[in-house]
Amino acid sequence: MDNNVYQVYEDEIRALEEEIKLLTEKYEDIQQESTFYSEEEILKSMKSFQREMQGEFKGHECPSDLKAQLESLETDLSFLMKLTGFQFTSHSKKTLEKTGDRTVQKHRLSGNCYSLSFQLEFQLLVTQSKEKVSTVVTDLSIVMEPGEASNVSKFVSSIEEHGNLVTFFRSLSTYAEWHEHRRCTFLHFK
Amino acid sequence: GLFAHLEMLECRAHRESVEREEKEQREEKLALLECRARELRLQRDELREKLERLEKGGGAGKAGMAPDPTPRDVLEWRLRSLQALLQLFHLTGISGKLSRRGVCFTLSTAFGNSHLDSFHLELLLHPQLRIHRHSIPPFIPLERISREFLPRDLRRFLSVLSQHLNGYAGRKFQLEQLQEHFSDRIKGIPRQNSLCNLLTFEYGLSGKSRNFPLRARLLYRDPCRSLPTDVEVSCASDAPAWLADTAAAHSELFRLLPLHGAFQAFPTA
Repeated sequence: MDNNVYQVYEDEIRALEEEIKLLTEKYEDIQQESTFYSEEEILKSMKSFQREMQGEFKGHECPSDLKAQLESLETDLSFLMKLTGFQFTSHSKKTLEKTGDRTVQKHRLSGNCYSLSFQLEFQLLVTQSKEKVSTVVTDLSIVMEPGEASNVSKFVSSIEEHGNLVTFFRSLSTYAEWHEHRRCTFLHFK
Repeated sequence: GLFAHLEMLECRAHRESVEREEKEQREEKLALLECRARELRLQRDELREKLERLEKGGGAGKAGMAPDPTPRDVLEWRLRSLQALLQLFHLTGISGKLSRRGVCFTLSTAFGNSHLDSFHLELLLHPQLRIHRHSIPPFIPLERISREFLPRDLRRFLSVLSQHLNGYAGRKFQLEQLQEHFSDRIKGIPRQNSLCNLLTFEYGLSGKSRNFPLRARLLYRDPCRSLPTDVEVSCASDAPAWLADTAAAHSELFRLLPLHGAFQAFPTA
């Protein structure tokens, strides 16, 4: 009998904790997604932050986790961009929907691969069930430049229909490399 | 008499004291739970208000919600932006993270607009680029591919490996979709090999009949592709002509469409 009373409170507490977690994430998402800082501001902040840290630790080796994390990420990204040839020049993300087991995000991504540039817009639906997370791409739209070549426009239409981002990027990489090779060869003979 | 009586009183006193203590503990615990629930309710309501203000106030303005961002705010924003970019690489099929002695790659797969399993591969840099650990299934010819492209061409190595993995994941996904949506039309469970590139099953034309007159055999000679190269749909030799025609038509559909797509495209009996 008493256990019932505990159970009711414990259930409520668990539900509240989950809701708080969700609300906090939503708040952070909106803040993150509606903010933008330029490279300049980032560099300035980096310098100030370093000065602050050094001041606090008075010249000793300052354990800045944030700085280390940033450097590690930047190194990883720079490595990936060099390896894959994809240079992402801008990315914006907006969380359209977020519940306990379902998130919908809208992405806008621009970049280039060698001399080919692309602009993508798509929605990402992430559903969480008991054992697995499922990610599905919808509303994909792609603009490529140069895109007039008939094989490129056919390729783009087919990808937009199927929504397979992996195929898009893998094929883009292969095509761009071939295109670049051709371009260099051509220049060589000019 | 007296001694027993005293014992009884002592027992009763002890029992009553234990009961009193338990009651106090219960009430304390209840009070704590009540308090915690109240705290959380307050916190939740505050957050709801904050969120409402944020959503109404609009996200206009580049400084967003922090009217005066500290350097730490800016850098934390930057951290999250970079993490999002790394997530994007995951969507492209090849992502990775540098480690102390090499690099850990994550190769992701997709079929149509569904993202499927990811596989991991750790490469060491010294003395030469080579594979250390991985989660690539044994029926993918990892050894052969690495011998052909490593150590000189990491990019091609990853590209070819990705193609094999995507081919396999795509075929596996089609089979799962088939079983999920059309299990009533298939006899038992389709027979497949671990690479999912040889498939045989018997199937019927409608879900209602317990009859499976057609037999399909699909061979995917190209391990990087998710459509079959060789398709055979057969029926019994004494079957009516229209069934043989249907078998031929289905054969074409299996060649052109993913498995579950072909089943969807069958004209219903």
